[in-house]
Amino acid sequence: MYEWTEEHQAIIGFVRRFVDTEVRPHIDDLEHNGVPPYDVLRKMYVTFGLKDMAQENFQRQLDRKLGGEPSQERRTSDPAAQMITTIELCRVSPGLVTSLGVSTGLAAGTINKLGTPAQMQRWALDLMTLDKVGAWAITEPDSGSDALGGMRTSAKRDGDEYVLNGQKTWITNGPYADTIVLYAKLDDGSNDDVRNRKVLTFVLDKGMEGLDQSRPMRKMGQHGSPTGDVFLHDVRVGKDRLLGETEEPLGGGRQSAKDNFVAERAGVAAMSLGIIDECLKISIEYAKQRKLWGTAISQFQLVQLKLAQMEVARVNVSNLVFSHIERSLNGAVPTFAEASAMKLYSAQAACQVADDAIQILGGNGYIAEYRVEQLSRDARVLRIYAGTDEMQVVAIAKDLTRP
Amino acid sequence: MNVVVCVKQIPDPAAPQSFDAQYNLDRSGKLILDEADTYGVEMALQLVDKAGSGEVSVVSMGSANDLAGLRNALAMGAAKAVIVSDDALRGTDALGTAKVLAAVIKRDLPDLILCATESSDGYTGTTPVQLAELLGLPSITFAKSVSVEGSTVKVNRQTEAGYDEVTAPLPCVVTVTAGVVEPRYASFKGIMAAKSKPVEILSVADLGLGDETGTKGAREEITAVVAAESRQAGEKYVDEGDGAEKIVAFLESIKVL
Repeated sequence: MYEWTEEHQAIIGFVRRFVDTEVRPHIDDLEHNGVPPYDVLRKMYVTFGLKDMAQENFQRQLDRKLGGEPSQERRTSDPAAQMITTIELCRVSPGLVTSLGVSTGLAAGTINKLGTPAQMQRWALDLMTLDKVGAWAITEPDSGSDALGGMRTSAKRDGDEYVLNGQKTWITNGPYADTIVLYAKLDDGSNDDVRNRKVLTFVLDKGMEGLDQSRPMRKMGQHGSPTGDVFLHDVRVGKDRLLGETEEPLGGGRQSAKDNFVAERAGVAAMSLGIIDECLKISIEYAKQRKLWGTAISQFQLVQLKLAQMEVARVNVSNLVFSHIERSLNGAVPTFAEASAMKLYSAQAACQVADDAIQILGGNGYIAEYRVEQLSRDARVLRIYAGTDEMQVVAIAKDLTRP
Repeated sequence: MNVVVCVKQIPDPAAPQSFDAQYNLDRSGKLILDEADTYGVEMALQLVDKAGSGEVSVVSMGSANDLAGLRNALAMGAAKAVIVSDDALRGTDALGTAKVLAAVIKRDLPDLILCATESSDGYTGTTPVQLAELLGLPSITFAKSVSVEGSTVKVNRQTEAGYDEVTAPLPCVVTVTAGVVEPRYASFKGIMAAKSKPVEILSVADLGLGDETGTKGAREEITAVVAAESRQAGEKYVDEGDGAEKIVAFLESIKVL
């Protein structure tokens, strides 16, 4: 696959119209007025029938689980549709995609993968349809890249229950989440090194005793996606909240976290493409119109060099996205290292393109009205979340130098 | 109730346009559904939905090399599409277009025919009423709302002063304005399903038409295409104590007041 099909182009047309009508005019509310992203995302889900599709998707996954098959999501729909939504939303507000992806992908995805049928029905369906908002809490103040090893949040056995204590930070949707998928280290009273203890995955509901969700943090970009802390003080949970209702779920908590990283990293390429597309479009239009010394700046070679480099990045990242779609259609999943390579390149390309766009627009690029400053700030986190650039390099190099 | 919507695939207005030596618009590039037609498609879908039975069909004339515009109408919910596409149609004028559309529609006369008030590339605004005349049907133009009761269509017809309430027996041709309804977004499933909905492609010969279409049959001739005059500087009013009256007089002159 190297270009969008006619159906894809129709989807692009309708989604773009939705984004231009329903998101673009309200960008200031998302950016500066603290309006949460969920209502507009829900509207998008209903408008395009994505809510109904989510219900059907959930039912298929549930049926497979009841049939005893591993509930790995099998591809039954065109993955391009989701990529297109991501790309089009990211032209205007990448934060919306972050919020959406964490709720429907990471939180619901983890519950569907590790949970029992009852747990899927209790929590995952509402997250997949966006009726409820989900968070996926793994990172802690003292362990970002070292999330699994350095995790301090503990789950102490107490009879048939667990008592959770600790703090999670930089949690997308944290301030508003109705459902929180939370990773914690098992404290079974043994003297095992904390680093090596089992990682368990729990599901918490907003309002539980001892669970506190902070207000949204002020941050550099992606204001469309609320981020916060989650505090746990003697939060008492039964086994019904332990995913799989076992301390030995399929693949374990560590594996489920890693699987999510692969999906997240592939998604970042599509996010990058949306940012790159939009920045390039704005830059070309501006460079053609802006005149200095009587000449459009698009005629200046230093500007042309930037535009050409932006186009190279656009071509490369769109090829990554197309090849990912093609492989998904064939049922192939990228390896951890491949997903990392894709993310590393795309995120850096998005940051570079957005920065170049600011430079082409000069003073106007620094003014919010021209929007590239926002996209540049929004792009920056792509090099940090879902694994920093440095961790992507580690993953790629580890794979290359495997004995 | 069955409704036919006449639609047109036009070159994307956002892209640069060019003409050939006969001043025909270059239609060889990407074509899209004229936005003006999406209101008719939406209106038709709502009327059929309300009636509880029947279907919406779209009828078009033009190049069938790119059917993306028709597929959009199908994605919104229309059941089928017919397009008359033939090199012999090149140079067809508005009346010739009406003859072609009439030939398609009378094969299976629907209860209601909806059109936009005019296309966004041709802008003659004459085809719908010519179509009604050729079909021997009543026509109502500039509908800002449309409802059907029994075998009667009720239309609020936009006028400069407000609107007229007009009724006509079905079948009837109605042209709808952009304000009539808000066109829906096609769902992802609708877009995918549109791929397998029937699109019938007809030639002039299929319809038994001949010299009354194409350049031969055209009674209109485009003799020149000129750029619209660029906007002139506005008129300045200096407030010499009578600013308010000047403004009122100006607004009255453009019939805002």
